[in-house]
Amino acid sequence: MGLFGFFGQSEADKRATEIRTGTVAPKRAERQRCWEARDGFFSCLDAHDIVDPVKEEKAVGRACAKENVKFEQDCAREWVTYFKKWRVQDIQKRARLEALQAQGATKMDVNSDFAARK
Amino acid sequence: MATAPMRAIFNALSRAPSRQCTRLMSTTRGAQPARRPTVSCLPDTQIHQSLGQRRYKYKTVEEAKSRYRSGPFSWKAGILFIVAGAGLLWYFESEKERMRRQRIAEANKGVGTPKVGGAFELVDQDGKPFTEKNLKGKYSLVYFGFTHCPDICPEELDKMAKMFDLVQADCPGALVPVFVTCDPARDGPKELKEYLSEFHTGFVGLTGTFEQVKAMCKAYRVYFSTPSVVKPGQDYLVDHSIYFYLMDPQGDFVEALGRQHSPEQAARIIIQHVKDSKKP
Repeated sequence: MGLFGFFGQSEADKRATEIRTGTVAPKRAERQRCWEARDGFFSCLDAHDIVDPVKEEKAVGRACAKENVKFEQDCAREWVTYFKKWRVQDIQKRARLEALQAQGATKMDVNSDFAARK
Repeated sequence: MATAPMRAIFNALSRAPSRQCTRLMSTTRGAQPARRPTVSCLPDTQIHQSLGQRRYKYKTVEEAKSRYRSGPFSWKAGILFIVAGAGLLWYFESEKERMRRQRIAEANKGVGTPKVGGAFELVDQDGKPFTEKNLKGKYSLVYFGFTHCPDICPEELDKMAKMFDLVQADCPGALVPVFVTCDPARDGPKELKEYLSEFHTGFVGLTGTFEQVKAMCKAYRVYFSTPSVVKPGQDYLVDHSIYFYLMDPQGDFVEALGRQHSPEQAARIIIQHVKDSKKP
């Protein structure tokens, strides 16, 4: 908690709760922390072949419980919902693109990925 | 297409002397005796009767001389020339008019500049009123977003900061970067100031009442949707278009820059437009 060490633990907790509930907008460092938690959670899902963490809640509880808790702790609740939906759509999009490429479709110069995810 | 009438004229002109018309252009020059009838064309049948008659084509020496002087021109050829010339003139004029109309039609066929932008009334991150007049005289790069945006807006704003720095390095003071919130309920001037300071201190952040922001988004053809029913304190995301709108110093739309442009590409496009506008 380097950034919030100055305010003490309770201040940091208050801020984290405010971010989670969407009372305040996260700052750059807080966004970064959330994205890292998200990427950690998603890579765990990838490792366990879980596509939709909402539908496969039980599998998530078994395989990626720790990552899930961190994800929900570091991100706003709305963001968690959004990123989980985004993951499903992104996987579908990739699959569709692969299928199109296999059919010999021409790729257009469009980028809709997260820069953080490579 | 235009060669057909031209050929017709040349044919007519070259054929004219062989028509054996003796009513010459020079007949009006006063040298002609009064006994001559006004029209003295010989019937065609007579012409081809014999070579002997051909020799007497010209009744007098004067007539022969005048025929020689006037060359192949006759009244008929002259009239034909004028008629054909007038016809050609009319043809070219009407063709010119048609091309002009075609140009106008093509210009309005939706290929031209779309109507994006216009008047707005908002407040900046210091709470001061800000209208489209504040953007006159400089290029502006307008982006719509909201501070609670999970991924794309922060990323795009970082891009916008990079673009702005690149443009500043090449054309200082030519561009104003503008961020307009689509979430006025949560993004007041204070929130915007705090949010934008993490990206670039040169950014202008705009907000207003819901109606003002809605009008602004409509003018810029930006789609956005806040959830219809929001309980107090409830968190939500705003769905919105993610383009940078480049506007010229008159406030007219120039180009939309999207996710496919890298900051370097986008900056190059902006710099090109700025430099184009400085050329006389």
